Amino acid sequence: MEPVALDALGPSGPYRARNRRVVPDVSGTAVAELSMVPRLYVDRALAALRRAPVLPVAERTAALADAARIFLADTVEGLSFETYERSVSRVSGVPISIVRRAAAEIAEAAEQAHRSAYGARPCGAVTDWRDPATRDGSGVWTRRGDVFAVHAAGNHPAPHALWLEALALGYHVAVRPSRREPFTPHRLVAALRAAGFGPERVALLPTDHDGADAILAGADLGLVYGGDDVVRKYAGDARVLVQGPGRSKILITADTDWRERLDTIVDSISFHGGVACLNTTAVLVEGDPGPLAAAIAERLAALPSLPPDDDRAVLPVQGAESARTVERYLRAQARESKAWLGGEGILEELGDGSTVLRPAVHQLDSADDRRLGVELPFPCVWVAPWSPEDGVAPLRGSLVLTVMTRDDELVDRLLDEPTISNVYHGDHPTYWLEPGVPHDGFLGEFLMRSKTVLRG
Amino acid sequence: MATTLEDPVLDLPFDVRPDPEEFLRAALRWHFSPETGAPFWVERARSFDFDPVEDIRGFADLSRFPNLANDLRDVPARDLVPRGYGPDPEIVGVYDSGGTTGAPKRVVLLREWTDRMLAWSSAQLDRHGVPRDVDWLQVVPTGPHMVGETFSRQTVARGGWPFTVDIDPRWVKKLIAEGRSAEAGAYTEHLVDQLAHPLESQDIGVLLLTPPVLERLARRDELVALVRKKVKAIMWVGTQMDADTRDLYRTEVFPDTILVSGFGNTMLLGHTCERPGLTADDPCVYDPFSPYMSLNVVDEDTGEPVPHGERGRLVMHHVSKGLFLPNNLERDYGTRIAGPEGQVGDSVADIAPVKVFDDEVVIEGVY
Repeated sequence: MEPVALDALGPSGPYRARNRRVVPDVSGTAVAELSMVPRLYVDRALAALRRAPVLPVAERTAALADAARIFLADTVEGLSFETYERSVSRVSGVPISIVRRAAAEIAEAAEQAHRSAYGARPCGAVTDWRDPATRDGSGVWTRRGDVFAVHAAGNHPAPHALWLEALALGYHVAVRPSRREPFTPHRLVAALRAAGFGPERVALLPTDHDGADAILAGADLGLVYGGDDVVRKYAGDARVLVQGPGRSKILITADTDWRERLDTIVDSISFHGGVACLNTTAVLVEGDPGPLAAAIAERLAALPSLPPDDDRAVLPVQGAESARTVERYLRAQARESKAWLGGEGILEELGDGSTVLRPAVHQLDSADDRRLGVELPFPCVWVAPWSPEDGVAPLRGSLVLTVMTRDDELVDRLLDEPTISNVYHGDHPTYWLEPGVPHDGFLGEFLMRSKTVLRG
Repeated sequence: MATTLEDPVLDLPFDVRPDPEEFLRAALRWHFSPETGAPFWVERARSFDFDPVEDIRGFADLSRFPNLANDLRDVPARDLVPRGYGPDPEIVGVYDSGGTTGAPKRVVLLREWTDRMLAWSSAQLDRHGVPRDVDWLQVVPTGPHMVGETFSRQTVARGGWPFTVDIDPRWVKKLIAEGRSAEAGAYTEHLVDQLAHPLESQDIGVLLLTPPVLERLARRDELVALVRKKVKAIMWVGTQMDADTRDLYRTEVFPDTILVSGFGNTMLLGHTCERPGLTADDPCVYDPFSPYMSLNVVDEDTGEPVPHGERGRLVMHHVSKGLFLPNNLERDYGTRIAGPEGQVGDSVADIAPVKVFDDEVVIEGVY
C-alpha cells in the first residue's frame, strides 16, 4: 500500500511540504509521509491564529461536539475511521482495542470539553463581565493569552483529549504532532476545522526541533510532553506546562489483603499495553513483596504476543531495534534485583521485523530504591516493601497513586504531598480517568486567571 | 626575471576562461619562484617531498600539498603576498575565517583579485535579474570578515551605495554553542531593529542578509510591507535555506521580489551566487569561479570524492596570481553536484557544518 500523505494543516489549508518524513510502522514499512513545515511556515501560521477572531462560546461548544462525531464516523482527509485506527496501532504499536477506546475517549472529551474546561473556574469568578455579580465587584475568569501551542505525545492517542479544553476556553491552538504517531492529531485537527473552527483557529504543524521552538515562542502558552530532560528544559519557563513522567504507583498497607485486589493491580500495570503515563510503574506493599510479585508475574506471563492490530492484542509492539534498546536499558537497570518475570529477556519477535515487549516484574529490597521511578513503555513494574517508617518519601513524584489502606491519616498525608498529582483511595486502577476530573491539575488552572471587574 | 614568470594567462579578464592546467602551471611557477613567490610558500616548499613546479600537473595533484591551514593562524600576513607584487602591493584588506574554535585563519585580499572576482560575481547577479544602479542594505559581518567589504565594493561597482548593519557571527555562534538560544534570538531581533531604519528612510533596492534575519524580518508586517514596496531583490548568504522556505518567500511573502542566494568562503577568497535557472524543487547549487576557486566533496575518511548527490566534506582550493591556498579541508559538509562543462572540481549544494541530521534517541519514559 502506498504511504498516506499527512499534510500540515495551516491557515490556508492543507500544505504538502517538499520536506517529508516517512512514518514507519512497527515492521519498518512506510505507512505515511508527514509534511514537515519550516520555521517560516510556523511563524506565519501562528500569526494567522493570532489574527483570527474568537468564536462565541456556544459556537465553540457546538463545533467541538460536531468534531467528536466527525472524528469517529467520517472519512477525514481521505482516511476512514477503520484505516485510521489500524494505522495508529501499526505505527505506535499500541493494541488496536486500546486505540479504539482512546478514540472514543477523545470524542467524549470533545463533547464534554466545555464542562471539563469550565470545571476549573474558581467559585469566586464568573465567566462574563456582564454577569450581575460584577455590579458589586467580582472575579471574572479570563484567558491568559490567545494562542496555545502543544508539543504532542506519540505514545498513546488519549493525551490529545486534553488540549481540546483550550479550544473550549477560546484559545486558538497549534499542535505539533509527534513523528511517531501523527495520525491522531491530524484527524482531530482536520475534524475540528471541518466542524467550525476553520483553518484559522486550529493548526497541525509537523516540524523539526527548530520549528518546534518557534511554535512555543510564537504562542502565548504551551503544553509539552516529555521525560525528565524536557521537565528540566522548561522548569524556569512559566509559559510552558510540562506533562512529565507518570511514575504512577500503588501502595498497599498491611490492613488490606492484596489477594483481593490482584485484578486491579495487574490491570493497572498492563492496561493500555503499559504505554500510558497512568500505568503503574511501582507497587509498594507493607510486608513481604515476594508473594505479590510472584502473583503479578504469573498473571502477566499469560498475556499473548500478537501483532498490535489484532483485536485480541494487549501488549505493545515496537520495531526490532528500538525494542532491543529498551531491553538493554531494562537489563542495565535491573541489576541486582530479583526478576520474577522478564529476567531472561522481554522480547518476542513476530517475524515481520516487529517485536512484542513482554511484561517484566522485578522485586527491589527497599522502598528508597530509585528504580521505583524507572518508567518504561510496556508492562514493567518494580515491587518493593514499604513500612510506615518509610512514610510518604518513596511515593513522591507520582502522577497517580492508588492507595489501598484503611488508614485515613495516611491518605491525608499522601494528598498533602505536592508531588503526588492524584490519589485514588481503594480498589481503583491507576489508569482511571473521566472527563471533568483533573489529570495533572485542571488545564484551566494554567490557561486562565481571574480579574476583578467592577461596574455600575 | 619577474616579467618572464608573469605569464599573461594569470591576468585574463573575468569572462575569459583560461585552460585550467596551463593556468595552474603558470600560477605554480609564479608562486614558487623565489623572485615572485610569497615568502610563506617559497619557505614551506623546502620541506615538500615534491617539486610544486615540476610535479603538480593538474588540479587533482593539489591534494599532494599538506593542509597548511593551521599555518595561516599565525603566519605574518605580509609573508602571504607574492614578492612579484613589489614592496607595496595594493590590498583590499586582511581577513579572518571562522574563528569559532581557536585562532582564526588569516588571508590577504589583493585589489587585483578582488576586482576580477567581483566583476564575475556581478555578471552572475545580472543573470539573476538583480538590478544595477540601486542602493543595497547589507546586514552581514564587517570587521575581520571579508563579506562586508567585498559586497560594499560590489555595490559601488554596480552603481549603488551600500548601507550597512554589522553582525558579529562569532558571538552568535558562541551563544548557540552554549545553548543560549534566547540570547541569540534577541541579538537577531537587535539586527532587525537596526535594519528597519535605513529600510524606512532610504531607497533600498537590494537586501543582503542571512536567513535568520530574513525570517525575523518576515514576522514584522510593517517591514514586510516596506520590502514589498521598495526592494527589487533579496540576496541571502551565510547559512542554508530549505526549498520549502524559499518557495514560501517567493510565493507568499515576497512574491514580486527576486530571491537569490550566495555562498562565500574566506579560504576561497570570494563568493558565488546560486546557479541561475534552478527550479523550486532544486537545492541551491553553487558553481565556484573556476579555475580560481575550486572545491571537492570528499569522503572524510578516504579523501576520495563521494558520488554525485551524496554528502561529503569540502576541500577548497584558491589559485590566483594574488594568493595560493590549496587543499584546505573545511569543517563544512555539502552535497556533491556535477559542475558545468569545463569547470574545475565540483559544484556543491546544502552546505552545513554537519554530516547527517540525526534523530534523537529517547529510552526512558512513555512519550
